[in-house]
Amino acid sequence: MKGQKFLTDQSILRRVFLFLLPFLILLIFAFLQILNLMVFQAEKFKTQADSNRILKEKVFPPRGLILDTKDKIIVNNFIRQDLVVTPNFIENYSSYLSLLSSLVEIEEDVLEQIFYQKLSEIKPFQSFTLLRDLNDRQLAKVKLNFKDLSGTEINSSFSRNAVYGESSGPVIGYLGFASKQDILFNPNLKNFNDQQVGLLGIEKELDEELRGTVGYRFSEKDARGSVLDVLSTEPSIKGKNVKLSIDIELQDDLYKEFKGRKGALIAIEPETGFIRAMISSPSYNPNFFNNLKTEEIKLLFQNKNSPLFNRAISGQYPPASTLKPFIGLVALEEEVITWQEKILDEGEFFVEGDERPYRGWKEGGHGEVNMEKAIAESSDVYFYNIAYDLTVNSIAPFLKMFGFGESSDLFMNESKGILPDKKWKLGQKGEFWFKGDTINMGIGQGYILATPLQIALAYSALINGGKLISPRIVQSIEGKETEFVSEKIEIKNIKNLEYIKQSLISVVESNTGTAKNIYDPKLRIAGKTGTAQVKSILDDNKYQEIRENVLLRDHALFVGYGPVEDPSILVVAIVENGESGSLVAAPLVKKAINLYQK
Amino acid sequence: MSRQPLDFSLNLGIDNSRRKSVFDPWIVLSVFLLSLIGIFMIYSASQSVEMALRQGVYMIFGLAILLLVSFSNFRKMEVFYLYSYWPGLLLLIIVLFFSNENNETNRWIDLGIFTIQPSEIMRFLLPLSAAAFLSRKPLISNFDYLLVFILTMVATFLVLLQPDLGTSLIVLLSGILPILLGGLPWVFIYLGAFTIICSLPLIWFSLYEYQQQRIITLFNPDADIYGTGWNIAQSKIAIGSGGFWGKGYLNGSQSQLNFIPESHSDFIFSVISEEFGLIGVLFLLFLYGLLIYRLILISVMHQNRFAKILSATLSTILLAYISINICMVIGLLPVVGMPLPFVSQGGTALIINLVTIGIILSLRRET
Repeated sequence: MKGQKFLTDQSILRRVFLFLLPFLILLIFAFLQILNLMVFQAEKFKTQADSNRILKEKVFPPRGLILDTKDKIIVNNFIRQDLVVTPNFIENYSSYLSLLSSLVEIEEDVLEQIFYQKLSEIKPFQSFTLLRDLNDRQLAKVKLNFKDLSGTEINSSFSRNAVYGESSGPVIGYLGFASKQDILFNPNLKNFNDQQVGLLGIEKELDEELRGTVGYRFSEKDARGSVLDVLSTEPSIKGKNVKLSIDIELQDDLYKEFKGRKGALIAIEPETGFIRAMISSPSYNPNFFNNLKTEEIKLLFQNKNSPLFNRAISGQYPPASTLKPFIGLVALEEEVITWQEKILDEGEFFVEGDERPYRGWKEGGHGEVNMEKAIAESSDVYFYNIAYDLTVNSIAPFLKMFGFGESSDLFMNESKGILPDKKWKLGQKGEFWFKGDTINMGIGQGYILATPLQIALAYSALINGGKLISPRIVQSIEGKETEFVSEKIEIKNIKNLEYIKQSLISVVESNTGTAKNIYDPKLRIAGKTGTAQVKSILDDNKYQEIRENVLLRDHALFVGYGPVEDPSILVVAIVENGESGSLVAAPLVKKAINLYQK
Repeated sequence: MSRQPLDFSLNLGIDNSRRKSVFDPWIVLSVFLLSLIGIFMIYSASQSVEMALRQGVYMIFGLAILLLVSFSNFRKMEVFYLYSYWPGLLLLIIVLFFSNENNETNRWIDLGIFTIQPSEIMRFLLPLSAAAFLSRKPLISNFDYLLVFILTMVATFLVLLQPDLGTSLIVLLSGILPILLGGLPWVFIYLGAFTIICSLPLIWFSLYEYQQQRIITLFNPDADIYGTGWNIAQSKIAIGSGGFWGKGYLNGSQSQLNFIPESHSDFIFSVISEEFGLIGVLFLLFLYGLLIYRLILISVMHQNRFAKILSATLSTILLAYISINICMVIGLLPVVGMPLPFVSQGGTALIINLVTIGIILSLRRET
């Protein structure tokens, strides 16, 4: 067959319509069906749509448990009943809220505030938790009136229970709702936007591990929101259990020893870096954050004594005399003085061109002192002298090796303290470094500030042979041990460390030692006292005046470790405005070491 | 105050003398409105601003190409159209080597920032290429028709391999229509129709099980409400419950509660019906009607053979898409992957549809 010519206009038109026709017919059928569905059967389908309550709901996993080093439970979960509402299924918001208000006995405007706030945050047909942790009475009343409360569900969810309450607060932290920013920066939180997540402490640090994975449930519900049938589930995955290095009994006992005084205590193993107790007083009960009485939580935040502030890792204090062993060590290392060399301490130290004397804490001084005696009796004048000879240029870098001025990355909200040097002062204060600044630094006063944790790590390095350890508070996660990390500090002469340790023993065991009051031949402890000035005292007769104001009294410090023969634990205690390191802080440390040894 | 008598006449382009420079505003307006409706409905169906925005970007991109293409000289482009089948074929072969781990079907080529769907590109290139081939010389032999038919079957087969039944039918249609409209003798048409009817059982057994299942449920959707029939049943509830006025934007419980599967793509018609009711459906159908009417008009009025074949083919395919998609969501046809043109979510499809319109507009200018 030969090729064809073009079809005529007429015939191509005929063909177009022919091939369009089947689809047109199809469309006409479709349109008839649409009319049928939307006009004649509309009512039937509206009813069906209304009763369609197959919802995809999140199933939240229980958070992981927090255990102590002896497997005692520190935090577990309990089940509570929450009232969840789906606003699209509520006919009249205001009558609903007034009925609910009378049933649960919560004022209507309080309910309204929560309701409309949350309503603005959700998408159409989503639901939210209106009331948490209903008590039995509320639960019974709501259930009795369920038929009048369409769009309401009672959901059980998990709540956190801190078994040891207040004493564990600074360690475990608390839960709360993630802010919008938190969710923005951590998309993993998106699934938990209506759930409490860790906001502080271990709960925050290990939130990712503790949280678990959300599951889903598809269930059919009737118009009142009760489940008729669960169609399918995608199970949630429970959070991981976290085992801490904390000994919760020790923590609890020691917290009670503080008797509400402000202060902090850290007990750490100098060889492993495991923290056995971390106390900040006053503290708070993490369970407090379970109920939503916002007023009370607000009071907690406004409390002058800042119970939510973890003094052990965030409190920055002058290390005071507890810094002296390090100044002594750097002096030995730099050979500005020998171990036995004596300095005459008559209670005052003068710098050329400066009229004002630098006073020691003891009027009249300690007489002729060598380093051992100077540490044991805490002679200020001795350390004024060697600090003056050392200059800040050799002190600051040395202290830095021991972790001063640096975060240990144990917690996110850890403070770095201040390790001042010439550059720091020029940058921060806009002033040049004075000799007097170095002299003050020699006794741990002036600009230098350290956290109890930093002091604990620096002392650990002194007694473990020069290893700056990374502290650990988590022993294992779901059975997986955490890693021990340490950094070797360069010590020129290892003998110098022995000298310093010997001096620390003399603090307790020499009959002129500042902490001789805690001497106990059955359990030998070594350590160093410290008394941190809150306000620098210029004039003697003002001292009594200042003492009148409790908040201006000196902080009492003590760092101790034991047993001396083979130190297994090191404890730093600080009692704010406690005045005497030896009388207030040292007994706490002794108690801690005793309890730990048991 | 003087009043003009009411003037209902539209510019139907009948006037031959004006045809040359007329740029059909009705076609542009209808595709613009349809795409815009699509973006809003995608947001309602997915509740994802990101998805709606992405579709918006595709729409702007597509409209820009539409304008660009509509000003091009189609006579100069015919050479490219003629050979455009081959790159399309290459893409279809490449996509088979792109295995998607979580999905067994290989429909997309992932280029990092965006994905392309070769089957969509083929159903666009095939009629273009076929129309150009069948109008390249005054006399078309039966061998030419046969060649187009074979190449069409090859493309259809490759799409079936993905597997994508819906698009493979469209690809088949877009290759067959130019042959039929180009003037294939009737005797062959009858012969072909007879063969298809006889081979229906064969086609049935070559279908995948899930495809068979869809056809079975079509005839009895209520038998297994939580199984395959579930989708259709829920879609019907959504459409029916929309009633005359609809439930309002973002207020359709069926769509917002995710009762409707694929509500942002294949089942977007259900969302429109539920939220805007019969009124919304009528408006949508009016826009489609306007578009198809204007396209057919071009085919009828045009003197050029290429333009006639292409315009008629594309308007038929458009109508096929619309009617099959709607029949599918209201339960008159089995569920095959067939989006609603211009409205359903899908970047490749939207851009391809808009470019197609651009090409047709370019035909109109060059009469």
